[in-house]
Amino acid sequence: MTDTQLRRYEIFVIERPGRPPVHAGSVHASDGELALQNARDVFARRPDCHGLWALPAEAITSHPAGSAEPPASVAPEQEPYLVFGKPGHKGVQTFLGTVQAASAAEALDAGRNTLGGGIVDWWVAPERCRLATQPEDAAPMFDPSKDKPFRDQAFYPVETMMRKLRRDRESGRAKP
Amino acid sequence: MQTEDGANLAEFEARLARGEKIEPGDWMPAEYRRQLIRMISQHAHSEIVGMLPEGGWITRAPSLRRKLVLLAKVQDEGGHGQYLYHAAETLGATREEMIEALLSGRAKYSSIFNYPAAAWADVGVIGWFVDSAAILNQTMLARSSYGPYSRAMVRICAEENFHRKQGMEIVLRLSQGTAAQREMVQGAVNRWWWPTLMMFGPRDSDSPNTPTLVRWGIKTRTNDELRQEFVDQTVPEALAMELSLPDPSLHFEAEAGHWRFGEINWDEFWNVVQGRGPCNEERLQARRKAHQDGAWVREALAAFSRRQDRAA
Repeated sequence: MTDTQLRRYEIFVIERPGRPPVHAGSVHASDGELALQNARDVFARRPDCHGLWALPAEAITSHPAGSAEPPASVAPEQEPYLVFGKPGHKGVQTFLGTVQAASAAEALDAGRNTLGGGIVDWWVAPERCRLATQPEDAAPMFDPSKDKPFRDQAFYPVETMMRKLRRDRESGRAKP
Repeated sequence: MQTEDGANLAEFEARLARGEKIEPGDWMPAEYRRQLIRMISQHAHSEIVGMLPEGGWITRAPSLRRKLVLLAKVQDEGGHGQYLYHAAETLGATREEMIEALLSGRAKYSSIFNYPAAAWADVGVIGWFVDSAAILNQTMLARSSYGPYSRAMVRICAEENFHRKQGMEIVLRLSQGTAAQREMVQGAVNRWWWPTLMMFGPRDSDSPNTPTLVRWGIKTRTNDELRQEFVDQTVPEALAMELSLPDPSLHFEAEAGHWRFGEINWDEFWNVVQGRGPCNEERLQARRKAHQDGAWVREALAAFSRRQDRAA
């Protein structure tokens, strides 16, 4: 296939200030900056997004499922790893915290020892692979969705209109 | 099934029985994976092709408000396609394979999008009929046993309620409008009623995949059950708006509590599914053109990316 759909990035959404980034899905993009732009269009068309993270799919190691090791650091030195976990079988991958580790395997161990119980599935990725929207990007990225109330079903008073129609019909005032 | 590991299969089915969601990377039967890729990629294609019938009305919407709403709706459909392609990718399908299957005509998508939106009122009726039908189907799929599909559906259902309601608002206004507006909306109702009933898919007795899909919790209700619920929900709405439905044998069966409808033209359904509907060729041409017209953008992105990599 000559015409590729570019690299895949996993996307995490911060719904409100102070809430942890939660996995939303993935987008394809040629670089991280465009991944964040695409993620805005795909996952933040409504005003419930305060920030976005993008991680190249190949940078994530999951457990117990397992996957390829992320690209190794130049030297096997400790570096910060992001740790995500799925809380319970109906949960979604959610950011739990950062650990210092020299490999994904070490980061998984550290995460399991220090971050949260009840996690059924873990993801770790080197922090250096993450791209995130910055606080100063928030207004131009996310404010445009706020003046589009017509994207919300509550904008359409169809139940009220239906009730009125039915009432009019019952009381015989409906048009013939 | 002989090739599956018996112990794995038993554990898999026990997980389903406990109501656990299956996640990418978990062990699953090859047939579960195959059926999910088939369903989810068809669903993704339906969202993408589904932009076309209504997209043609964006430039001709009767007011700025309607234009903004329709733009937002069509953009949502594109986004829904993206959520779904993602869900299929978690099962090992690649974006390239799926797009190639759609453009080459090998992949299927919902039969409904091979019908034309002939008048402005069709945009309203599509929201009222087609999006209502989609919500029934997708609410069921939100309980699906595969985590990424289920989560995509939860997100999509929330947005589809906007689609349904903007359509109903158009239909309500037209049905209370001038004689010409009533005539236009009645025409759209007549055009879309039967294709919408067909959209739920073949009768359960002709639906070979259903028992497997229900057994593994991919689907939790059958085509015929969902079709009946759509009819029961929609007929009273049409009556309230004094719109007629093009089915002389439609009647309420008080004992069962259901609206009974006439025989669906299954020859028409299979013709459309097999590529001989009113707009199949036009839809594929439009998708191929969009893909070709976007080639230079993908090439430019790839070139930029290579340059960045070299610089790094």
